[in-house]
Amino acid sequence: MRWAILTLVLLPSFAQAQIEVVDQDQVSNDKPSRPFVMPAASTEVKEALDDFERFRRRNAWERALKALYTIPEAQARRFIDGDKGFIVPVARKRHALLNSLSPEGRTAYRLFYDAEARKLFEDADGPAELGNLERVYSAYFLTTIGDNAADRLGDLYFELGRFDRAADCWLSILREYPDSDLTPALVALKAALALTRAGRVSELTSIRRELADRYNDEKITVGGQTGSPLQLLERLAGADPQRADATVSTPQPLTAGPDLSAPVEPAWQLRFADSVEAGMTSPELTQWESNPLSTAIPTAVSEGANLFVNYLGHVFALDLKTGKLRWRSAAFHHLEVSAMQNQGRGNNPTRYAIMASGDFVWSLARDPKDQNFYAPFLLTCRRAETGEIVWHSKDLADYAAFDLVSPPLLAAGKLFIVARTPATPQQQQGLPQELVLAIQPRDGKLLWKTEIGTFRQNNMYQFFYYNQAPVAEPRLVYRAGALFVDTHVGVLARVDADSGSLEWGFGYRTDAAPIQGRIFFGPYQPPDPIGISSQPLSAGETLLIKGVQSDRLYAIDTSRMALLWERPIAKSARLLDATEQRLFLGGPELSALNLGTKALAWSTRLPHGSTDGEVLVRSEGLWQLTPRGIFEIDPQSGAVRRIFRGQDLGAAGGDLLLTDDRLVAVSNRTISAYPRRPAPARAERGEDPALNRKRASNE
Amino acid sequence: MNNVYAAIVCGSSLLIALSGSARAQYFASQGNAAGAAENIEGFTVAGKASVSAKPNLMEIDLEVSASSELSADAIVKYRDARRRLHDAFTGLKLENIAVEERGLLVDQKGMMMNPYYFNGFPQNNRNKTEVQLARKLVVKGSNIRQMDEEAVLQLIAKLLDVAQDAGARIGSQPEFNPYVYNPYNRSSSGLVRFVLDDIGKLEEQAYEKAIEDARARAERLARLSHVELGSVVGVRELIVPGERNVNADEDTAHKRLESAKFQEIPVRVELLVRFEVHPQPKGKERAANP
Repeated sequence: MRWAILTLVLLPSFAQAQIEVVDQDQVSNDKPSRPFVMPAASTEVKEALDDFERFRRRNAWERALKALYTIPEAQARRFIDGDKGFIVPVARKRHALLNSLSPEGRTAYRLFYDAEARKLFEDADGPAELGNLERVYSAYFLTTIGDNAADRLGDLYFELGRFDRAADCWLSILREYPDSDLTPALVALKAALALTRAGRVSELTSIRRELADRYNDEKITVGGQTGSPLQLLERLAGADPQRADATVSTPQPLTAGPDLSAPVEPAWQLRFADSVEAGMTSPELTQWESNPLSTAIPTAVSEGANLFVNYLGHVFALDLKTGKLRWRSAAFHHLEVSAMQNQGRGNNPTRYAIMASGDFVWSLARDPKDQNFYAPFLLTCRRAETGEIVWHSKDLADYAAFDLVSPPLLAAGKLFIVARTPATPQQQQGLPQELVLAIQPRDGKLLWKTEIGTFRQNNMYQFFYYNQAPVAEPRLVYRAGALFVDTHVGVLARVDADSGSLEWGFGYRTDAAPIQGRIFFGPYQPPDPIGISSQPLSAGETLLIKGVQSDRLYAIDTSRMALLWERPIAKSARLLDATEQRLFLGGPELSALNLGTKALAWSTRLPHGSTDGEVLVRSEGLWQLTPRGIFEIDPQSGAVRRIFRGQDLGAAGGDLLLTDDRLVAVSNRTISAYPRRPAPARAERGEDPALNRKRASNE
Repeated sequence: MNNVYAAIVCGSSLLIALSGSARAQYFASQGNAAGAAENIEGFTVAGKASVSAKPNLMEIDLEVSASSELSADAIVKYRDARRRLHDAFTGLKLENIAVEERGLLVDQKGMMMNPYYFNGFPQNNRNKTEVQLARKLVVKGSNIRQMDEEAVLQLIAKLLDVAQDAGARIGSQPEFNPYVYNPYNRSSSGLVRFVLDDIGKLEEQAYEKAIEDARARAERLARLSHVELGSVVGVRELIVPGERNVNADEDTAHKRLESAKFQEIPVRVELLVRFEVHPQPKGKERAANP
């Protein structure tokens, strides 16, 4: 009896001892408190990986490997926690686990799986070639045929233009397959060529050093040319238009900043707000001014001799030289109608976008008069010359289920955009998913779509009270064949721009951010500035990211899949631009962070803050349009160098665009084009090549 | 049973006796105030006076604040904002302009509100709060009494422009919670405060006039009441110019008068004055009542 009582008393303490101590700050794809989850692997997969670890520790190789191979191939493409916040496909994890096998384990592994791998390799022909080689590479890499499969797979990917994957295959042979029969110098040369084309500079530097130190005496023949690997690399990469330094180190140089040392009258000005307000009665004007739509800053882009503008779905083109209106999609005063309705407040002005290239203009907009709070944003392609609609996503069945949420990105001949599936609570729809779409720019044909993940929240409670938290709007960056998607809800994902395969994700700390617009009722309230989602920034090979609701700044080496550093930062901060040494931040203040010491170098508070609006960042200065004029800031000290009042006073600030001969100030009331004076000092100041990193969205 | 009755009777007697003594105390205090009752004899009148003067000082409240996850960042932001503001006003090179600093507030930036719930449900206990540094600065423009309205206007415009260009927040505003809307929360007391802080001489004049006013009122009452007015036996200050309740966090403790408008500011005094009265001599009484 006593023993029974004792057992009963002690049992809870045993149970308590078994509770796993979980680091609350650790980022995990499986954590239920995370707002966004990448396509997660099943529980069986996790159990299989646990079984593998357990049997491996006991040197029970057969059972360990059997556990690993219970993972179905469909699950191999789903995601699981990797190291240091990275979220990787199960196949990659499996590949890494196999590589970590001890020599005894490898011997056992080859004994069990060599025949299977060899069969797959021999059958790798025709349509099954890529699939079989990929399977051998990911699941049977350590078998005696694994290096050959990786080499062939590398060749195949190289031919397909997927240099990133090709480099990974060859690097795997060099780093993880020490007993390969392949010529290491040749494999290293191939890897170097692929790295060159993939723009992975730091890895290329390291392999170039390796070629010089270890294989310089060897002579190999590639493409009919014979020489030392380094000579061949110089020869082949030198003739290659897509050299790494061409894709990463020397992007298109940015023009110098504007010279605003003396007052200058605008060459032309478009006062579109006056058109909206024309004929409004006093109560109507009050209603309009208290509506967030009245502070909406049109999104504008220059292309050739034209300026294309998207003002809350009213798309128009202006002649940059004269300011003449070339065409417009609708009259501005129609906005009055939507402002009089409460549902107009659900219309998030920051989601409108425009992009132009050659003969076409693409605009992202929703109908302002649509009474549906969850009305989707649609993509429209127009002819730049006339404004005539070429295609509209509303008319294409592929887009029926999507709300397009990110500014579109034109790269590698494709148009990329992030889409969400709707989650209308009234219709009992599930949680929204986020996908990347690759579109043929001219006809809107959907080339591929890839799911990035699913939200763990929806907007059920967003109807009733004010919601002025920044909205998570995904941002896209294209770098050397890879597309990076910052979801702004805790995941940065890397997608192969060519095939659309989701390669990995990086989970960062964040609070939940609303994923849809501002919907609120009640008395009229002057709108306050709200921070916007930042575009990830390139500083050398490093990608800097900061989620809209995250209090951390992360620097990631995307080539090596490594977190270089992270740093706490104000949640309200946003990324503006980066040089090798400095990162410029917006938010309530404009500030500069020293990337060497990670210390805040200076901070300057400008009128109305720097929460939104395009800030011009150049080596010789920073320029921001504020309600009190254009402020020019010294990038070294943060001192306000001069204030150019201009003709945009009384507006809520806005964006600055620089063209060859115009400085265009786009505010919520006007578009002013100031002539760019020839600045004699500009040539003397020269250009800082380190600053020319703005290549992400304009390749 | 008899014991119970006896106890009730005793208790009741005790209560009655006690209340008697309390009553005795009450009446005794009345009785002790016999002297005061004598003092009530006479006239108690209010004396009011107001002397106006143009403000000699104007003030603009500014707030410098910075917040960040890292305290070191908050310090850099705060230090830079404060320095830029000081530099901006120093750059004006105006002798009559000074920037006065109030105390430094080290606080935490508003607790995270959960936008999905109402009535302040905390979102997450693990949410870190940001360190916020805030200081109120008062820009003071002195010697404005001699200036005409146009000159004052120019000076104000210059100060406001400089403050806004330097990124300062004008006026001290409470932290606004975007999730709870209260239109009455945003009451404004004007951008500029006009101050009369050299009120010593004016106060003297106002008191003198108030006593004169009281005497005039008392004399009228005496005349109408057929008594003769005696000397002042008591004074009570009802309205004293420039005095306010001051707590530990109050910025200004000295006497001053403020107005949101650029106009003459009245220095008001109100006194309650008691005069002695004496019966009129017989002859005078008869003369007064023929």
